[in-house]
Amino acid sequence: MALIECRQLTRTYRRGNEEITPLRDLDLDIESGGFVALMGPSGSGKTTLLNLLAGIDRPTAGTLSVAGKPVHNLPRRALANWRSAHVGYIFQLYNLIPVLTAYENVELPLLLQSLSRSERHDRVATALEAVGIEDRHEHYPRQLSGGQEQRVAIARAIVTEPTILLADEPTGDLDRQSATSVMELLAQLNSEQGRTIVMVTHDPRTTEWADTVLHLEKGRLVEQAVGSERP
Amino acid sequence: MRLLRVIPTVLRQILRSPIRSGLTIVGIAVAMFLFVVVEAMREGVHTATQVQAGDTTLVVYRENRFCPFSSRLPQFYGDRIEQLDGVTDVVPMQIHVSNCRASLDVVTFRGVPRDDFNTAVTGETQIIGGTVDHWQSRGDAAIVGEALAARRGLRVGDRFSAAGLTVYVAGILNTDHPQDRNIAWVHLPFLQEAARRGGTGALVTQFNVLVDDPKQLEAIASDIDALFTHDEHPTATRPERAFVGRAARDIVDLVDFAGVLAWGALAAVFALIANAIVLAVRDRVRDHAVLQTLGFTGPLIGWMVMLEGVIIGLVGGLLGAAAALTTVRVGNFSLTMEGLNMEIAGGWTAPLLGVAAALTLGFLAGVVPAIRLARRDIAASFRAV
Ligand SMILES: Nc1ncnc2c1ncn2[C@@H]1O[C@H](COP(=O)(O)OP(=O)(O)OP(=O)(O)O)[C@@H](O)[C@H]1O
Ligand SMILES: [Mg+2]
Repeated sequence: MALIECRQLTRTYRRGNEEITPLRDLDLDIESGGFVALMGPSGSGKTTLLNLLAGIDRPTAGTLSVAGKPVHNLPRRALANWRSAHVGYIFQLYNLIPVLTAYENVELPLLLQSLSRSERHDRVATALEAVGIEDRHEHYPRQLSGGQEQRVAIARAIVTEPTILLADEPTGDLDRQSATSVMELLAQLNSEQGRTIVMVTHDPRTTEWADTVLHLEKGRLVEQAVGSERP
Repeated sequence: MRLLRVIPTVLRQILRSPIRSGLTIVGIAVAMFLFVVVEAMREGVHTATQVQAGDTTLVVYRENRFCPFSSRLPQFYGDRIEQLDGVTDVVPMQIHVSNCRASLDVVTFRGVPRDDFNTAVTGETQIIGGTVDHWQSRGDAAIVGEALAARRGLRVGDRFSAAGLTVYVAGILNTDHPQDRNIAWVHLPFLQEAARRGGTGALVTQFNVLVDDPKQLEAIASDIDALFTHDEHPTATRPERAFVGRAARDIVDLVDFAGVLAWGALAAVFALIANAIVLAVRDRVRDHAVLQTLGFTGPLIGWMVMLEGVIIGLVGGLLGAAAALTTVRVGNFSLTMEGLNMEIAGGWTAPLLGVAAALTLGFLAGVVPAIRLARRDIAASFRAV
């Protein structure tokens, strides 16, 4: 059984009288330990799919289960708790809280768990070390470079040891060098810690770290000749 | 437990936007200062003018007269009043004030017979400087109420002048009776002498009558007035506090009206907190969506927002209340009119009321934004910013 199972997954939005269905009858299996890159033109439904996998949006129809547990029909509060335990989310624009230091940002998701201060400290320190910025605990986001901010954001996503790690264009706002080192970090988390990663990307270069590349077009997965998108 | 663990995060959010939080808090403190001072004034006026169950003092005044200069009663009335049933003591008094109008610094002299001092002062009293003997031994001696002494910086042995009289301070009186705290007690003949220079004769301004049963207060008042209805100088007798309330009607009305200011101050506090929260919530649409993505529930984020309002309200309220309390206590203000005093209450009631109000308003101001926030859709929030 796959770790993530999507069956007939559909998401429809209503805008006035108009209905938009960015995702239609999607079937998808992702194995535990996989590193999936999701590509496709703008508006093809990549973020919509990622949000459904993350449990921050709910499908209009179809089912989604993660580690054998149905997620699509969880009520709001249960869904929030499920996110807290199973999902790490990495954004294109890092989305760190500006008034909190790097340390405090990474500590945030742990506040939801019954851990003591020192247990939290150990886990935050470990996560910051894993992303290579153990010397920036007291820095505010505005005092960090884009690459460093994204590393802090990754530390925040992995500090709870989630079942799946989701990333929406994690290198979209970074220069080549920072992008490469962020991708190396993700690959390392995938290979050394066995984290399952689903990453949306526009940059074909970043797909070389992934083991599967999926193409989405108008809300459906399309077959793509192997390597056709690679440079 | 989650509610407690996020408190430091809320505090950081407040402390790390110091200008915004500071401005809001200062605004709240100013409004609360106003609220507490007005409430203290209302409380003081209330204490001075509302008859209380245990009251036993009546004031006999000339009918239809309100100012001590125009109330003149023959001193022999005292003997007739003393013979009424239920009357324990009658003290004739001459009142002499430096200023008859409503004012914050008026000196009121009360003349009492040499041996009547102890019965003239009512309630819990204590001479905290000088002695009554000393007072009795000097014709121009005065025993000065503590509040008046504090306001004028008087000590035993000092001389001070007001209203054309110069007296020697022979003692300072500590008492819980608001009228007595603001008065200089002098010898009746001394005041009468001063008044005679103005040409009045053996007249007094009023009699203070002590009765033995508080329940009989009104009945005895009617008896006294009945005694003199057909006299040349008819009287109007009232419980002391009611007398104060009537004589100082202007102040009472004014202070009642000031109650509107108190409500206005509360409205300002509410508006300030609500504004701060609405802005904060609008500013943090993305932050809140991030928190929700991390697994924070809508209600938890709502609670954080409400807590922010409560903390800001509490801090502003405490600052304003502390400033108001200090001002009222250091200033020892009393409102005086027609020689009667209404002290601005320096107790804890008004400040505590203020802090509680600020706290409640902080809470209320956060409720609606918090509920709306708790219902917000995460994916839509991310798209909105
Ligand atoms: N909450 C929403 N309300 C209305 N329409 C929406 C909503 N979310 C997504 N859409 C629409 O769904 C379609 C797919 O959006 P989505 O963000 O998934 O695309 P994407 O593949 O991530 O694009 P990009 O590469 O530009 O990020 C778009 O047309 C978008 O306008
Ligand atoms: Mg997208």
